[in-house]
Order: sequence, then structure tokens, then C-alpha cells
Amino acid sequence: MENTKEQNREMTAEESLSLISETLNSSRKEITRRSSKYYLLWGALLTIFSLMVYFLWKYTDRAAWNCLWFAMPVIGWIVVRALRGKGEQTNVQNDVSRITGGIWATFGVFACAVAAFTLAYSYVSDGALELGRAIRAMVSVASLTAEIVLLFGLAESACGVALKNWVMKVAGFVTGIGGLAIYYITGAAEEQLFIFTFAGLVLVVTGLVIKSQYK
Amino acid sequence: MHSELRLAVMSILAGVEEADFTYLKEQTGATSGNLSVQIDKLAEAGYIAVEKGFRGKVPRTTCRITPEGTEAFRAYVKALKKYINAGK
Repeated sequence: MENTKEQNREMTAEESLSLISETLNSSRKEITRRSSKYYLLWGALLTIFSLMVYFLWKYTDRAAWNCLWFAMPVIGWIVVRALRGKGEQTNVQNDVSRITGGIWATFGVFACAVAAFTLAYSYVSDGALELGRAIRAMVSVASLTAEIVLLFGLAESACGVALKNWVMKVAGFVTGIGGLAIYYITGAAEEQLFIFTFAGLVLVVTGLVIKSQYK
Repeated sequence: MHSELRLAVMSILAGVEEADFTYLKEQTGATSGNLSVQIDKLAEAGYIAVEKGFRGKVPRTTCRITPEGTEAFRAYVKALKKYINAGK
């Protein structure tokens, strides 16, 4: 915004209303634009983790590598804290950023809780109480990937509704339903992790779209 | 609220939960000195609440609109609209 507010001059009624409208709009755009970096961050993390777990699982034939997923939210949280602590001096929230932040936080809690519960259930229900077998059961029998990708699609679309962004609404739907379809096709094979690679790329694209739309 | 800068500050704070001094400065394009004076005036009027603290070792001033400020802002916008419509 140009530097025009130094004289503290009094304005006409029309100028005042115009200023209020312009300022509210500009602030809303700025807050939304700032949220794009979180989409880029989590999208990059999701893509990296899905490929890393895929290759480790494929070449060692050990489903236990899926435990690495639990490290992703921890690393993401550390990076977010570091971003806020260093580069970002201002931390402003409006209703939309609070709602979208809440949606993704809820998704994260649900995804971790579903994974932890499924793992615990598989572990206990397996007579041998063997962690490796429990993890294999978690990712093959319990359809965990399908459940989480549906939650992801729902969160992405809900954020699209909050941001009034049709790209996000469609991307969420495609990821959720498309991911489910891919899961049914690939089944329990390690290739199911490409669903999360795709979901990560969807988040990166979302971040780039937000950044360009709210310049 | 009649001045341009005070109105801009109130407009920003009406749309957010809270905003710090740096954000207000960026959004209004005002100088630190002038912004500081106008924030003090709005705080004295009871329209905004100002909280001074630290983020790490960096001093941080946070502003948020008060219920009285929200009410005054609404009334101001309503009066503006009424005035404009009366002139038509």
C-alpha cells in the first residue's frame, strides 16, 4: 500500500468508505498469501516422506519403515516454529486463516490418531505381538492409506470452501476419491504410497496457486 | 477515527484477531513515529487494546480492537453510508 497516510488528513465520506474497503481487502489478501508457505512446506514434506518410505519399504521389504511417518509432523512442527521465530516477525490471523489452520491441525490429529490406533490394534490383535507384522497389517489389512487420503481430501476441499478457491475444492475431491480408487487398484503394495506423493504435490500446487492469486 | 491513518488502522484491526506493530506499519505504509502516535490515540479512546511484550529477545507490540472499538467502527461505517445515501 502506498505511503499516503502520513498527513492524518480528514477525508470525505466516500474516501473513508473506499479506504475501509481497500484496507480490509488488502489485509485479507496478505494474510491468505502468507498461508501459502505452509502449504508448500507440508506438501514438500509429504512428497519427500512418501518417496522415502516407498523406496525403503520396496528395497528392504520391511513395512516397518512406515513408522517414519510419525516423524513427519514432528519435523514439520519444528520447521514451522523455526520459520515463525526467525523470518516472520508478524503473526496475524483472521477468521479464514484460523479456520484453515484449524482444519489442517484437526486433519493432522485425526491422521496420527487413526494411524496410532490402527497400529496398536494390529499389534494387540496379532497373537505374536510382533511390531513388524502389526505394521504390515496396519498398511495392508486396515486400509489406513485409504482412510487418511479421504481425510486429506476432505480437509483440502473444506479449506477451498473457506478460501472460496475452486482449485482447492476440486483438488481435494480428486485427491480423496482418486486416492481411494488408486488404493483399490494398487491394493496393499508399497505403490499405495504414491497416493501420498500425489497428495503432497497437490499441497505444493495449492501453495503456488494461493501465492499467485493473492499477490 | 476521522484521520486517514487511524481509520486504516481500525479497518485492519476490524478484520483480524490481532496485529503487531510491524504488520500495521507494512499495511498502512506509515512511519513508525506517526503510527505510534495514532495507536496511542486509539488506545486512549478505548478503541484498541495495546500489549507490549517480547518475541524471543525482540520487543513486540500487539494491537487488537476492543468491543467498544468494534461498536464505534460499525457506527462510523453506518453513519458514512447514511451520509452518502442522503446526498444522492
